[in-house]
Amino acid sequence: MALSGSQARTERTTEEVTDHRPARPRRRWAGEGSLTHPATTGVALVSPALAFVAVFVLVPLAFAIYISLTNWPLIGSYHFVGLSNYANIVHDDRFLRAVLYTIIYTAIVTLPILVVGYLMAVVVRANRRGSGLLRTVFFLPYVIGLSTLSFMLVLEAQPGSGAVNLVLKALGITDGTTAWLVNGPLATGLICVLVVWAVSGLTMLLLVSGMQGISRDVYESAEVDGASWWSRELHITIPMLRRPIAMSLIISVIGSFLAFTQFFILTQGGPGSQTTTVVMNIYQRAFVQLQVGAATAESVVLVVVVGLISAAQFWLLREKD
Amino acid sequence: MTTAAPSTGDLGARWSRNRRESSAKRVLYLVAAVISVIVFVVPLLWAFMRSFQPNAVITAPPDASTFFHLSFGNFRGITTFGTIGRAVGNSLIVSVGAAALTTVVATAAGYGFGSFRFRGATVAFGLILVTMMVPFQAIITPLFMELNAMRLTNNLLGLVLFYTTVNLPFGVFVMRTAFSGVPSDLEEAANVDGAGTMRTLVSVVRPLVVPGMATTALYAFLASWTEFLGALTFLTDQNLYTLPVALLNLQQGAYGSINFGYLSAGAVVAMIPCVVLFLALQRYYVAGLASGAVKG
Repeated sequence: MALSGSQARTERTTEEVTDHRPARPRRRWAGEGSLTHPATTGVALVSPALAFVAVFVLVPLAFAIYISLTNWPLIGSYHFVGLSNYANIVHDDRFLRAVLYTIIYTAIVTLPILVVGYLMAVVVRANRRGSGLLRTVFFLPYVIGLSTLSFMLVLEAQPGSGAVNLVLKALGITDGTTAWLVNGPLATGLICVLVVWAVSGLTMLLLVSGMQGISRDVYESAEVDGASWWSRELHITIPMLRRPIAMSLIISVIGSFLAFTQFFILTQGGPGSQTTTVVMNIYQRAFVQLQVGAATAESVVLVVVVGLISAAQFWLLREKD
Repeated sequence: MTTAAPSTGDLGARWSRNRRESSAKRVLYLVAAVISVIVFVVPLLWAFMRSFQPNAVITAPPDASTFFHLSFGNFRGITTFGTIGRAVGNSLIVSVGAAALTTVVATAAGYGFGSFRFRGATVAFGLILVTMMVPFQAIITPLFMELNAMRLTNNLLGLVLFYTTVNLPFGVFVMRTAFSGVPSDLEEAANVDGAGTMRTLVSVVRPLVVPGMATTALYAFLASWTEFLGALTFLTDQNLYTLPVALLNLQQGAYGSINFGYLSAGAVVAMIPCVVLFLALQRYYVAGLASGAVKG
């Protein structure tokens, strides 16, 4: 490439530096490297990270595509079966049910997560006394993590003795003997509540800094003009928060689509396969039924679907100037 | 003082309007705050209390006479029961290891991307970002086979490498942002004074990027400590289980009948480091999100 060109520029650097003339900001230079920041050092610095990514993400991805074309049983010999794994997916009831279930679950939790997170951000953004404490409290469940919270919930979902039933009994809503975790719809509902409770804090944090960037004057003049709280939010806050809202929606939708932990711990996908999500289905295919070929075919489909969802969301929520 | 005093009427009117609106808002805020604390803190405190109740009390309908007989029995129990005590140690090793490795590699890469120019930098950075879009849940099966071939399954080091990879894209992103924010004059001045790349990095630039490093380490630790699917898949030896997997086994009665007291105590042990670390290092956590989401 322009090797002599960059050399000439490099020589200029030395000159400039020893001249103690105000150096042009290095950033403005196109081309490779500089005397002080040689390109080779840069390459060396980023290599470990690239190596990790190549070995532990790209290789498995390529490998996945390869395996999905076989009938590998995890241990033992395998044969090429071409695209039959993919063809079978269309007829695979369990997989399709898992996809449907995951979509329903995602549809149920996405909006509440956004709304609750938004309301939390509204409460916390004014930096009143105690706002910091509230922000911490709202975010604690997320930090504790869904796995730990799921274990705690197992206890409390027990019929007769768990806190969930005790509270409902005290409120007179049920008689306190509901076995939440062995009933498909009930377990799903409980898990949805858990997830909204645990994950909204992230949405809150993503939205708060955006909200705090909006000048108070805009709100005050709107208030003087008689706009209600909701109207102010709708016409001032939300339009200015397109990016954080988009980001939080993307994270939440993809996260819901890939849900595994809370379902595995709380219901093991049961009863039967009523609460089995896509990832859990893949896991069972691969490590319980030992049908690795089919499982990786499903995995490849999952990667494509997640990619499409992300792309679609990015496109739908793009900044329309 | 030469400035005229502000007209009291004007200020007074504004102040009293603020006061009126303030008290309605203040009440609303207080109500929201109280409800929030109840909804968010009480369940955690409850779970904390549960860990001090023996299994018999937890599994029985609440009886006022036994409910508040709290003891450390569960905690004593889990140190010897099954492999939970061991699992805590494993989780620590893996989480600290992943946090450290992620921070080192991400800092190096962030420095490279943020302060250096070289051919293919954009492509390389884009590649790292794109891998953030690849859900590890989807590549867990081939990854298992690959790690198996490398003899890294059922191996804490393998798990550390996995967690590092998972946390790397975010870390690189944060560190690149941090290094980009270092004014070029600073680095140039150091070079004029004769410092090489390494020395510039360590003495001059480091204080400016330490917050980014803290953020990266914190995120990596928290993610690794509570991670479930990877640990479940890659570890098969009981003695190597991390805490979430050990608790799962406990819950499924792998060690005999389920002792919910032990489960509760184990969950509390899992919860405490997260809470403590977060409370101590909150600003780094928030800063990480801000740099990731806003500057994105």
